[in-house]
Amino acid sequence: MIKAENVRKVFGTTTVLESVDLAINPGEVVSILGASGSGKSTLIRCINGLEKLDGGRITVDDFDVSKPKELAEARKRSGTVFQLFNLYPHMTAVGNVALAPVEVLKRPRAEAEREARELLASVGLTDRADAYPAQLSGGQRQRVGICRALAMHPRYLLLDEVTSALDPEMTAEILNILARLAEGGTTMLFVTHEIEFARQISDRIVFLDKGRLVVDLPTAEFFAPSGGLASPRVVQFLSKMRKE
Amino acid sequence: MRGPQSETGFNDWTECISVRFDLSFIAPEIGFLLQGAQLTIEVCFLALIGSLIMGSLVAIARTSAARPLRVIAYAYVDLFRNIPFIVQLFFFYYGLPVIGIYLDAFPTGVVALSIAGGAFASDVIRSGILAIDPGIIEAAEVSGLSKRVIFTRIVLPIALRTSIRPLGSVFINLILTSSILSTITLNELTGSARIVVSDTFRPFEVYVVLLLVYAALTYLISILIGVLHYRLNRNLGARVT
Amino acid sequence: MRYTSFTPFDLVLLAQGFGVTVALFVVTTLIGLLVGAALAVVRYYRVPVATQAILFLTELLKNSPVLVQLFLVFFGLPAFFHINVTPVVAATITLSANTAAFIYVIAVAGIESIDRDQVEAARVFGLTRRQVLRRVIAPQALAFAIGPLTALLVNQLQVTSLISVIGVVDLTKIGNILNLRTLQPFIVWTVIGLVYYVAAKLVAWLGSRLETRLRAYSAWKGL
Repeated sequence: MIKAENVRKVFGTTTVLESVDLAINPGEVVSILGASGSGKSTLIRCINGLEKLDGGRITVDDFDVSKPKELAEARKRSGTVFQLFNLYPHMTAVGNVALAPVEVLKRPRAEAEREARELLASVGLTDRADAYPAQLSGGQRQRVGICRALAMHPRYLLLDEVTSALDPEMTAEILNILARLAEGGTTMLFVTHEIEFARQISDRIVFLDKGRLVVDLPTAEFFAPSGGLASPRVVQFLSKMRKE
Repeated sequence: MRGPQSETGFNDWTECISVRFDLSFIAPEIGFLLQGAQLTIEVCFLALIGSLIMGSLVAIARTSAARPLRVIAYAYVDLFRNIPFIVQLFFFYYGLPVIGIYLDAFPTGVVALSIAGGAFASDVIRSGILAIDPGIIEAAEVSGLSKRVIFTRIVLPIALRTSIRPLGSVFINLILTSSILSTITLNELTGSARIVVSDTFRPFEVYVVLLLVYAALTYLISILIGVLHYRLNRNLGARVT
Repeated sequence: MRYTSFTPFDLVLLAQGFGVTVALFVVTTLIGLLVGAALAVVRYYRVPVATQAILFLTELLKNSPVLVQLFLVFFGLPAFFHINVTPVVAATITLSANTAAFIYVIAVAGIESIDRDQVEAARVFGLTRRQVLRRVIAPQALAFAIGPLTALLVNQLQVTSLISVIGVVDLTKIGNILNLRTLQPFIVWTVIGLVYYVAAKLVAWLGSRLETRLRAYSAWKGL
């Protein structure tokens, strides 16, 4: 279980996150929505330890991410997929996917590479497995990124706007893969702009407004007039997104 | 063996200038010169490896979060870039025996070149490290990779690949600087040439040829560097839009 | 030779050696600047044969060891041309030529860094090539070139240490003398190294001060 308690994060003079409480239970699919600058990505970056908290506490399976040794354990349990892919440019797709299992989980290289190829095959990249990132399209790179995160068999999958850098066609591909993962029972925490997608696959939707967690409801209730839509900020946000 | 040119008794002005730039005298000496050239290549190759290792370590220290490490690394680079190599060389060559380390000219030369070359290489590698997309490092961190693994499997491989050209310049610099090793009685290319001069009494021709050989060598290496850069970077380059 | 410890007179020796180093450095730098800039101007005017010859010579000088160049001038010229060459003269010739080769490259880069548009505009206004060079290109090229120039000079200062090998009594040669006499290599070479280090830092500092002044000047000029 991922637990965020009273999280506070400040950049310079701007408070990006304030009093954020969030709990993710195993098996849940949760989407975080909100305008740009509302702190969504920062929250994910706090969970995987890329940003240090200025207040509050985050634990992943009771491992406190602000303690270095426990952070290492927490990172073994969560995988992150990035908006800009962040693939290792000097390694092939297989190399990218197999690196962490070999170095962190101490799996034998042949086994890790075999499993890497299976993962890549499951997202349709069988024939691109030995290509380098520079030779792949954006959608293909993101698929490699997803496989790289999955190769560690993480309990929780953190996805930070993973389709925002892709064109509509590639976006659809990726969303399909993610939907499959969600159905399969993977615990996922999305930060996304894809409202319809979020509505379809999430169990819960969380809404951040200017660093504060304003709404946290199961999907159906979120989109109900008496639930999430009762909040004017949510309505404003959704109508703006629909226009785009 | 020919004797020295006589300084008197010229018949006309053309004999004043030995425009008979006759290089046939070099033929028997070529084997000896090649040995010297081989020594130069050996020294420079080892010194290159030494420079890369030193340069990588120092570059990592200079980009580290710990301030004392950064200061020491900066001091090392600053010192060895602003002191003449021959002074550094004499420091090691004459100094080490005093504290009980007895090294031949060859290892001393390699050590001195590695330390000096490392200072220049560290600047290059540091630039390469700073040019890496931070997102890549973040992806490595959240995968749980340790700092050591991140440096050896990701940061250095990328930084070294992108820095091939400037590192090639460092290597060429090493080759030119290695000529100074002849002052500590190492018979590399320049040292061998000096011996050939003392045997044949034809310094002008020998040194002109030596200049051309060094220039040709560096030219050759810069071409090889270009090829190496292409081959190591061809998978990193072209963007797929 | 008697082995003695250091004496106060050694400071005088150091000063003398340093003086020789500085003198040679300054003289060869000046000559190198003049010759190198002149060669760059020759290239600017695109003189046919000379440009290629200059290119070949400068490349040769830049890509070969200075020590070998020194040997060529000191040992080779007397044997080939039957003239007498003292160590100091040989050192001056060699270092000036070597510096000139590098100055040439920097000067050419500086000239080429000026936008073609400016040059065209000046020509359209009726300025001759010479006037364009003097009024438009030179000041800006200079401001541009100060950075690389300073780095070059710091390097050439250290290159002067090689003249000790052909017998010039510069700072390094004094180091050799002291080392042989006192058998204290660590002290001797550390001190020599420090003197060079301080001198190099001085040159770098002067260069950066000159750069700020030149940049301020040329920035205002670009009104």
